Amino acid sequence: MKSKITAGLVASLLGAVLFTAPAHAQNQRIALLSGISGPIAAMAPAMLEAMQLAVRHVNEQGGIGNGGRLEFVIGDDACNPQNATDAATKAVNIDRVIGMVGPACSGAVIAAANSVTIPAGVLMITSSGTSPQITKLNDRDLVFRTVPSDDYQGRALARTLKERGMDKVAVAYVNNDYGKGLADAFKDEFESVGGTLAGFSGHEAGKASYRSDLAQLARGGADTLVVFDYGDGSGLTILRQALENNFFKNFVGADGMKSDAVIRELGADNLKTFFTSAPVGEASASLDAFNQAFAAAGHDPNAIFATTSYDAAFLMALAIEKAGGDRAKLSEALRSVSTEPGEPIMVGEWAKAKQLIAEGKDINYKGAAGDHAFDENGDVPGNYSFFKVSGTTYEAIAEMH
Amino acid sequence: MELIGLANYAIFLGILIGIYALLSLGLNIQWGFTGLFNAGIAGFFAIGAYTTAILTSPHLPGRVGGFEMPILVGWAGAMIVAGLIAWPIGKICLRFRSDYLAIATIGVAEIIRLAIRTEEWLTGGTRGITGIPRPFGDLPYVQSQLAYLVIVALAVLIVYLLVERQLHAPWGRMMRAIRDNEGAAAAMGKRIEARRLQAFIFGSTLMGLAGALFVHFNRSITPEAIDPMIATFLIWIMLILGGSGNNRGAILGAVVIWTIWSVSEILTDRLPTEMAIQAKYVRVFIIGLMLQLVLRFRPEGILPEERRTRTAPPG
Repeated sequence: MKSKITAGLVASLLGAVLFTAPAHAQNQRIALLSGISGPIAAMAPAMLEAMQLAVRHVNEQGGIGNGGRLEFVIGDDACNPQNATDAATKAVNIDRVIGMVGPACSGAVIAAANSVTIPAGVLMITSSGTSPQITKLNDRDLVFRTVPSDDYQGRALARTLKERGMDKVAVAYVNNDYGKGLADAFKDEFESVGGTLAGFSGHEAGKASYRSDLAQLARGGADTLVVFDYGDGSGLTILRQALENNFFKNFVGADGMKSDAVIRELGADNLKTFFTSAPVGEASASLDAFNQAFAAAGHDPNAIFATTSYDAAFLMALAIEKAGGDRAKLSEALRSVSTEPGEPIMVGEWAKAKQLIAEGKDINYKGAAGDHAFDENGDVPGNYSFFKVSGTTYEAIAEMH
Repeated sequence: MELIGLANYAIFLGILIGIYALLSLGLNIQWGFTGLFNAGIAGFFAIGAYTTAILTSPHLPGRVGGFEMPILVGWAGAMIVAGLIAWPIGKICLRFRSDYLAIATIGVAEIIRLAIRTEEWLTGGTRGITGIPRPFGDLPYVQSQLAYLVIVALAVLIVYLLVERQLHAPWGRMMRAIRDNEGAAAAMGKRIEARRLQAFIFGSTLMGLAGALFVHFNRSITPEAIDPMIATFLIWIMLILGGSGNNRGAILGAVVIWTIWSVSEILTDRLPTEMAIQAKYVRVFIIGLMLQLVLRFRPEGILPEERRTRTAPPG
């Protein structure tokens, strides 16, 4: 029995070798990783579609290098470290990818970067890992992201509230890396600009009642409640119970709370003192181009992380083109194609970019989700606006800095 | 080029299989020898993982720990703490019969998981702990992986030999007697509760060791790693498929299941994109199907428990 299994194993490994016979020499292969199974399975299809759209744009407009094609292999990180390292190891060793777009969740990013891509010297661009821990990775400049760290939004929101005269607030956050990340950054910044936190507590998602949590928070004497939660989940329950019991007067949320469900369930009349922050793709020609192309392909352009996923894959392709397919020069090339100075490149303008690179000119990619001017940690600052409820939707009332 | 890549992947496969084999061996002591239905493996895995993370990671303000102790201290600590936490849990829960014990241990694992997510001063909360050293981590990629494989393989070998010895010693016979006929064992003067507690603690320390090995491999630990699907139920499938009550079966189960899980994807990735994505969902189904088939046609597993049936001497 055992020998049969061994034989089967050897056979399947041999099969893998035959199947992965070297592709055409000029082709370049990248890995696209997302949480296909697991907790974010609902978000993964749109992310993968957006990444593949970028690859299609590249191949339809001249491909990579001198007539090569951009190939990709898709991996499932299942949003956990075990599967992420497994998928990344296969991509790096079996498929010999030059770069990796993804994985999706922060824990998956950290594990795959630490144990696979950084030691192997493979460039990684994640489009949805938002944990501030990713900033701190000792990454030899190999880990980048096109989605802003939760740190930025929390800090920008803290400064905005202080500017608007809300000096004393209570904070309720959902206890996961999203809520916690925002809340910590907010707390840090709010206290350093001289605000007072009258309450600060986390809660588990999905409970029927948060009245005791709210009563506890209200005891601090603040009249503003900041909620870092999801507006179609426990955030809605919190908002409803806070309004019903008159615990607070003003309510502020981050992007997770900017949900239509909140207006639908509670009514705009009750939400005159409800504000949210949310990232805005700079209203750019690039974003319009993406929306149009993605909708034409039959997908919803407003799907979460669609724009950042497209940008991550497109930037990876630009970097490969710029570096001439040289793995060692990839991260340097990525910085070069995404920062000033340079001719602006919009979504889908692969042919133009390719031509400029061939002429030895600098380019600067302006993506669907923003300009992607990476800082020294490979992070991007986000663009955020401050919204109020207006009728059945949200209206931006100020930019946040 | 390709062969090096393949070898490198095989090394990685070996490391994860080794870690899962330790979990499976730990469960074998609890279920295979003693009949304790522990459905909270993820909890003890997590305790081991976080203990060594706290002991060996560099200091970070706002969190206890970061003692930068030697890695071996971290591993010993992981085993000791997993055992110490298993003690009161076993003391309370082991009075339950099998299915109730399963429910209780699921609850315990969930409590541990929530505590880890919440107690930020200790575990870094939802962000986890990063910057954990890996032995020989400064070597180039392939050499570093290879060195870690040797460490994991040594750990599995030592654990296997010790557990095997224990199983063939009178202790092992006593445990099986307790499992198969508690009343008879009690009548012969065996202290059932104390022995079951012993097995529970012993198995849990091995799970803690597996957690520790996992953490140093990834140089980080986040709560996502303690998902019950991949840290509890997958191990049950490994043990049942391999053959519970047989240590080699426990290891073989880890080899077979993790290889199917991982290697099958290499093959399905050659399919057109749409099908390749769908195939990733099918993997979960295949594992479940295999479990069904094994339970239906070979409930004792691939390598069944060795029963030395000695006929009574004549006279």
